[in-house]
Amino acid sequence: MGSARKLAGQFYMRDLTVFKVMFTAIVTAMLGAFWLGWLGVLDLSKVYVPETFLIPQLAGGVIFGAGFAMGGLCPGTSCVSAATGRLDGFAVVMGMFGGVVLTGILFRPLQAFYESTPRGTFTLPGLFGVPEGVVVLAIVLLAIAGFRGAEALERRASRTRTE
Amino acid sequence: MSSQNARRLARYLAGVAIALGLLAAFVGSPRKQSNARLDLDRLARTVESDDDNVTAVELGDWIRNRRANLRIVDVRDSTEFADYHIPTAERIALSDLTSGPFRKDETVVLYSGGDGRAAQGWVFLRAMGFTRVYFLKGGLYDWLDEVMNPAISPAAPRSAGTLAERRLSANANRRDLRFSSSRTAPLEKRSREFAAAESDIAASSVADRHRSR
Repeated sequence: MGSARKLAGQFYMRDLTVFKVMFTAIVTAMLGAFWLGWLGVLDLSKVYVPETFLIPQLAGGVIFGAGFAMGGLCPGTSCVSAATGRLDGFAVVMGMFGGVVLTGILFRPLQAFYESTPRGTFTLPGLFGVPEGVVVLAIVLLAIAGFRGAEALERRASRTRTE
Repeated sequence: MSSQNARRLARYLAGVAIALGLLAAFVGSPRKQSNARLDLDRLARTVESDDDNVTAVELGDWIRNRRANLRIVDVRDSTEFADYHIPTAERIALSDLTSGPFRKDETVVLYSGGDGRAAQGWVFLRAMGFTRVYFLKGGLYDWLDEVMNPAISPAAPRSAGTLAERRLSANANRRDLRFSSSRTAPLEKRSREFAAAESDIAASSVADRHRSR
């Protein structure tokens, strides 16, 4: 997971490990949160749902995507990469911290933009007007279909390479 | 792990995820609040018959008479609570009311500055199935006007013992919710009575705790 080539393989549909890892994490966390909430162990009303700020988050997405494409690593994988001694991983971690510090220093002038176009919080059950359990089932099925599709794509890519 | 075993494990985990997802679609909401049920007809009747609130004078009597299992809850913020609160009251934020820190046999009286936020808390607790819940009518303002400082204007007629007259004269003092040094004997007497009630209740709760050990 710490290899930039593995992550870049994602964009060329050759290696969808990252997609599978991410979706596994989403499904595990979602099922865990749902069932712990249902059993009364976790109070879901206390789980913070981040608010949407449309334009600043779109801008953030573009910056993040550009960094991802250039470095070949995202924040989590860059730490893994740096920890395994890769210099590119270390460069991405430094770039990330530099960006965080710069944003902190420039926060006051950026604040108006940072808090612009607020849209409140969105959740899939709220958006589609269906119970949480139905959304959970839909995402599990989507993930399973996604895994099968990803493996089919990987098989096709490896066949193309060997030909 | 051989690739065959890994494949078998992946299939098994996918099966578990599908089973949990399928069950999730039928077991209902995972949120605790979904246990709340509102009988709107009953609620409307309670509000219409004015059984959803207590007046400041009634509450004063309940405190003085050491009504059993009485809990007075201040839903204002901690600064306002520290400034002044009704004797024997405890502060619980509105958002914490939903965690249900009450027993069913307790009589809960909610109050705020006016009575709006306390009335909202009343709806929360009724939705959670608590029936002995009231909010203080007129909130802390009425408490101060009618119990702590039921002043009658010197210019008022002799019959000015009515609530309306008392309110008119007390409104002049409404800006400051705290005690002022100019308030004299009746207020101090009441304060002493409530302080006695408060220490009695504190002592009995200490005794209860000792007994329960």
